[in-house]
Amino acid sequence: MLKRTLLSSAAALTMLAAAVMPAQAVSIAYAEWLASLVEPGIAAYEAATGEKVEAIKLPNQGFDTRIPLDLASGSAADVVAVDSFMVSELASSGYLEPLDDMAKSWDQYQYYMKGLLEVVSYDGKVYSLPTDTDVRMLWYNKANLEKAGIALPWEPKSWAEVLDAAQKVKDATGIENAFILPAGTKQGEAATMQGFYMALLGADVPEVGRNRLRDWAAGKWVGDSPGLRRTAQLYHDVYVDKKLGTSAINYATDIGAAVREAITSGQAGIVASGSWENSCFWDCSGEGIPSQDERNAIVGWTPWPGSGEPGTRTSTNISGGWAIALNSKAADKAAGFKLLTSIFDKANFIDWTVRNKRMAVRTDISEDPAYTSDAYLAKATALAAETTGRDTYPGYQKVSALVQQMTASILDGASVDDAINEYHASLVDEFGEENVITYE
Amino acid sequence: MASNTMHSRLTSVALAFAAVIWVSPFSWLILTAFDDRAKNLLRLPEQFGVANFAEALSGMAGQQLLNSVFIAAATATLTTLVGAAAAYPLSRIRVPGRNAFLWTLVLLRLLPAAGVIVPIYFTARWLGGLNNFGVVIALTILNLPFTLLLLKNLFDTVPIELEEAAYVEGATLWQIVTQIVVPLSRAGLAVVWFFSFTGAWNEFLLPLIFSRTEAGFPMSVGLYAAFGIQGAIDYGFLAAFSIVYAAPAIGVYFLLRRNLNTGFAGVGVKG
Amino acid sequence: MKASAPPWLASGRGLTIVAMLPALILILALIYFTVWVIAFSFTNLELVGPRSINWEWIGLDNYARLFTRKGFLDSLWTSILFTFFSAIVGQSVLGFLFAVAMRNNYSGLKTAFEVAIMLGWLLPDVVAAFLWSSTLSDNGLVNTLVVKPLGLSPVNFINQFALPVVIIANIWKGVAWSYLLFSAALDSIPRETIEAAKVDGASALQRTYLVILPMLRHHIATNLLFITIWTFTYFPLIYAMTGGGPGRQTEVLPVFMYNQSFGIGKLGYGAAISVAMLLVVGFLSIFYLRMMKEPK
Repeated sequence: MLKRTLLSSAAALTMLAAAVMPAQAVSIAYAEWLASLVEPGIAAYEAATGEKVEAIKLPNQGFDTRIPLDLASGSAADVVAVDSFMVSELASSGYLEPLDDMAKSWDQYQYYMKGLLEVVSYDGKVYSLPTDTDVRMLWYNKANLEKAGIALPWEPKSWAEVLDAAQKVKDATGIENAFILPAGTKQGEAATMQGFYMALLGADVPEVGRNRLRDWAAGKWVGDSPGLRRTAQLYHDVYVDKKLGTSAINYATDIGAAVREAITSGQAGIVASGSWENSCFWDCSGEGIPSQDERNAIVGWTPWPGSGEPGTRTSTNISGGWAIALNSKAADKAAGFKLLTSIFDKANFIDWTVRNKRMAVRTDISEDPAYTSDAYLAKATALAAETTGRDTYPGYQKVSALVQQMTASILDGASVDDAINEYHASLVDEFGEENVITYE
Repeated sequence: MASNTMHSRLTSVALAFAAVIWVSPFSWLILTAFDDRAKNLLRLPEQFGVANFAEALSGMAGQQLLNSVFIAAATATLTTLVGAAAAYPLSRIRVPGRNAFLWTLVLLRLLPAAGVIVPIYFTARWLGGLNNFGVVIALTILNLPFTLLLLKNLFDTVPIELEEAAYVEGATLWQIVTQIVVPLSRAGLAVVWFFSFTGAWNEFLLPLIFSRTEAGFPMSVGLYAAFGIQGAIDYGFLAAFSIVYAAPAIGVYFLLRRNLNTGFAGVGVKG
Repeated sequence: MKASAPPWLASGRGLTIVAMLPALILILALIYFTVWVIAFSFTNLELVGPRSINWEWIGLDNYARLFTRKGFLDSLWTSILFTFFSAIVGQSVLGFLFAVAMRNNYSGLKTAFEVAIMLGWLLPDVVAAFLWSSTLSDNGLVNTLVVKPLGLSPVNFINQFALPVVIIANIWKGVAWSYLLFSAALDSIPRETIEAAKVDGASALQRTYLVILPMLRHHIATNLLFITIWTFTYFPLIYAMTGGGPGRQTEVLPVFMYNQSFGIGKLGYGAAISVAMLLVVGFLSIFYLRMMKEPK
């Protein structure tokens, strides 16, 4: 740990205390938004075993400052909810318990989509169970595109078509945010995932690391590549050359609200965002929003096209989502896993997934009529067939932060050359020359 | 004389105007709190109602209020007591380097709070202080440098002759402090107490990372229930909760108002 | 070592030591935390990942990085601008002006006014951030009542004038302290001195400049130092209002440090930034203190 001698004596004391004291109840820490999934699971566990669960519900804000601190100091709950991309970092520090062995005896484990399990794995072992996933696409305001004379439903096949459409919207309506492409450091991971990575995946051929941030085969981060440069150029086109979007909206006090207000009221043309916006454009809780048909009349969506360069993907997608993991220091791991299975028991899980319009992570749920009866979810889930995950390797958080800073520099007017070179230099600085690769 | 009255009337008008401008941003807060369908816009309530307040006051709000009161009052009291106890001798005993010592302490506080949070957290964990008591002590530690300096200055303004006179008449140290010094410096102590109170009342990060149970969270953490995922913010709740949350602090201010003005005279003084 | 203590303290030595003990312990704790931060500024410690367990000493690398990598120097300049305009020029000057204006006023207006500025102080930072963002938004108070009536198109203040906006928000929030301090300080100036100046024929401006200000010189200096230190390390309001943006326009040092420490997880580098902040303001403070030592 951080203070080895100090904490090892503290750990020794704690272990001594634990040996002397009776076994403690299973504990769980989760973020507020997962309450409707976790709490019924807790109730079921308590009913089944007769033991109380110590639960702590944390606010969504500050959750990711608190969990790493807890895990690092050994004071975390037995079961913790985490954002999926953190799993590999936490696992590599030894904070999480691998679940493969315990999962073998759980009959519902076989239904988890393999690709999504990979996202929460490290070094070949699965370290948490995903709660949900999402897909990303281009949303657009139908009225504005009609004014620009674009045929609906809009189905762009390349970046050039997207930029073209945005330009037409801007010319026809004069709005400032013809194309909202997430950028900058304020929205954190959203800028990397909904913006940069979605474009990068279609920027070059899907070989090794040419269209990614990491070359898994070589085991190195990509410092410079035609894919990265094309993506940076896209940002440059949007924000500097053609001014199809404003940097301002990326730094609003409440970016989400600003973007949502813009697209539903006709002040935006195209917005790069995700599957949750079907409700969230109006109200994420789904309360008091217009019917699906009314919403469909205002906004539509289309998959993110690839860049159009030869050999690149026709459309791209990257998925995230949260997961619930087991603390490697949990006193009673079997009980912790039992709590997990209780939370993710099909009845509870499918109920939560459908009611909250989350995307299913298991085939037994995605093929269930309760799920497929929602037209929007069914169509969006089709995008998940061809999805990939973030480069969930230790260090990803830093790489993502550097990507955000790169987009922030472009917002400030930096040239593509400068932005990429700075990114490359930061990567080398961070991970060492031997862990960074470049492509021509 | 006539120009003086004109002058002061003009000043009064200007100041009244300034006061109104100062308070005008609150219009959003109030309008939004009473709007059941609130958004981040300045407008008359779309649907006037008190649903937001009901939501703000439900659930753990009562418990959170108690926790806030505990953390804030305990921090303020501990800071004032510990600070005064040390500041009085510092004021009366003439040791060379006394001022340099105090200013160095103050300069230590230049380390931003986010910087020292990590060692504070690990130390608290090691000492088993990951609870609201730990929060109180951590906040007191952070308050101490400024407090010592302010209180030392305060005690400097209390004329030492009174204490000398009392000593001559046979009073003990304890009597001198409690019956002469403290009553005279009551206002300054109130100032220190008040600002420690409001500082601790607004503290969010320490209680968030310290508390091991939900029941320990103060209102400052409860406020963040307004922030959903994917950037959704419940403005009605945020506004209503803020009003409920700020009310006790404002109440304390009214109680201490009289003392605050005179208190500053002693406290904010010559370096 | 010439320490002279008044007799009642000397005889009550036990009590005195007991009284000073808690403060001493807590101060030692503070020093320990400071030393921790300084020590770890020379390492590559991180919050999660392998380097949270197997960190190493890397000497002055973090400090070199302050100057070679983008971010620190820009943030330093932004911090200087922010502190200077919001604390020194804004809060102090406004506080002083308000205090002077209110000096002999004991009416309800004074109460109303004091409550008004105290409300700014008492409001939680996050709420203040939203308050200001909505007041300055396209449909907010300023645009509705000022800009539109003048026939201009709505201005998105936070985006176009980010730094001035946070400066004003910070002034709004913090002026109460300076006001109270100067108010009390003014009260401590004997009326006779002012009357004497009036009799001598000094105008209001001359009275302020030649009589009041010099008498308050120490108060002013102390206050300036306090609020410089506070404002320099002040984090919540700016972070909630703009997150340091647009771009890097409002990225003051505490925001930069927070992003490095918790956003990216590089605690060692964050510690180095903290120490650098301490050194910069420490250096400026010594300057201040020298100024205050001047003979009256």
